[in-house]
Amino acid sequence: MNKVRNGTTVDCAVFQDQLPSLFESGEELSTQDHLKTCENCSALVRDLEYIAQQAKLLLPIHDPSPAVWEKIQTELKKETPPAK
Amino acid sequence: MSIPSKDLATTPGPTAPAKAPNQHLRRNPPIAGEAEAIEKAQAGDAASFEMLYALHKRRVYSLCLRMLGNVAEAEDLTQEAFLQLYRKIGTFRGDSAFSTWLHRLAVNVVLMHLRKKGLPQVSLEETLEPSQEDGPRKDIGARDLTLSGSVDRVTLERAIENLPPGYRLVFVLHDVEGYEHNEIAGMLECSIGNSKSQLHKARMKLRDLLKSGQRKEAVL
Repeated sequence: MNKVRNGTTVDCAVFQDQLPSLFESGEELSTQDHLKTCENCSALVRDLEYIAQQAKLLLPIHDPSPAVWEKIQTELKKETPPAK
Repeated sequence: MSIPSKDLATTPGPTAPAKAPNQHLRRNPPIAGEAEAIEKAQAGDAASFEMLYALHKRRVYSLCLRMLGNVAEAEDLTQEAFLQLYRKIGTFRGDSAFSTWLHRLAVNVVLMHLRKKGLPQVSLEETLEPSQEDGPRKDIGARDLTLSGSVDRVTLERAIENLPPGYRLVFVLHDVEGYEHNEIAGMLECSIGNSKSQLHKARMKLRDLLKSGQRKEAVL
C-alpha cells in the first residue's frame, strides 16, 4: 500500500470510492483483498454494515394519536365521495 | 432538483425488480382483507377506508415522524396523507403494492411540507457530477472507536433526526423502510445513482454523528 497521510492510503481512497457499489452488489465484503490488510477500512465497513443492520430494526415507531383519525373524519364529512 | 413538484401519487415509477423474499415481506407483508377493503373504499365505503387507515397509519406516521422529528407536524402530515388517499384511492390500479403506492403519496406530502418550510435541502441532482468536495469524504484513520454493538435504538433515531433532510429521506426509505434504489429514484424523481450516492453519504454522516456522540460520552 502507498502511505499518504494519517493512515489513509491510495488503496483506501480507491476502495472507499467503490464502497457504494460494493454494498449494493450484495457481495461479502470481508473477502475484499484490501480489507485483509487495512484495519481502517475494515472498521469503516463494519460500522456502515452495522448502521444498515440497526436501521432495519427501527420499524415501526408507534401509532398516531386517536385525534388524527377524528380530524380525518371531520374533514371527510366535508368531502365528496372518492373519485373512481 | 431538491424536491419534486410533481404529484408522485399519480405518477407510478418503474416496476421494482424481484426481491429477496424476506425483504419483500418485511415491507409489504400480506394483509388479510386489504384487497377487499381497497375495492370497497374505492366505491366510497367509509368503514373500509377506516380499515385501510388502521392497517397503514403506523407506517405512514413513522415515515412522517422520522422525517420531521416533531409529533404535531407528523400527525398533521399523516392526516394530510390519508385525506389525499381518500381523494385519490379511485386512481389506484394495483400496478404496485398498495402500501408502496400509499407510501409514495406520503413521501410526496412530506416533501411538499419540507419545501413549504424552506428547510435546507440536500440536492439530489448534485451527486450526478459530484465535485471533489461533494463526494463522500474519506475516512482518515479515526481508529479510536468502532460502533458495532454499541448503538441503541434511541441513539440511532436521534442521529437520523440530525441528518440533512435529503440524506435522511433516502436513508429512511432504503435502510429503514426497505425500498430499492429504483423505487426511491421513482419517488424522488432522481437517478438511481443519486439515490445510491445519497444513501452512502447518509451512512457516512450517521457514522460521524454516532462516533462524535460516543466521544462526548467518553469525555463526560
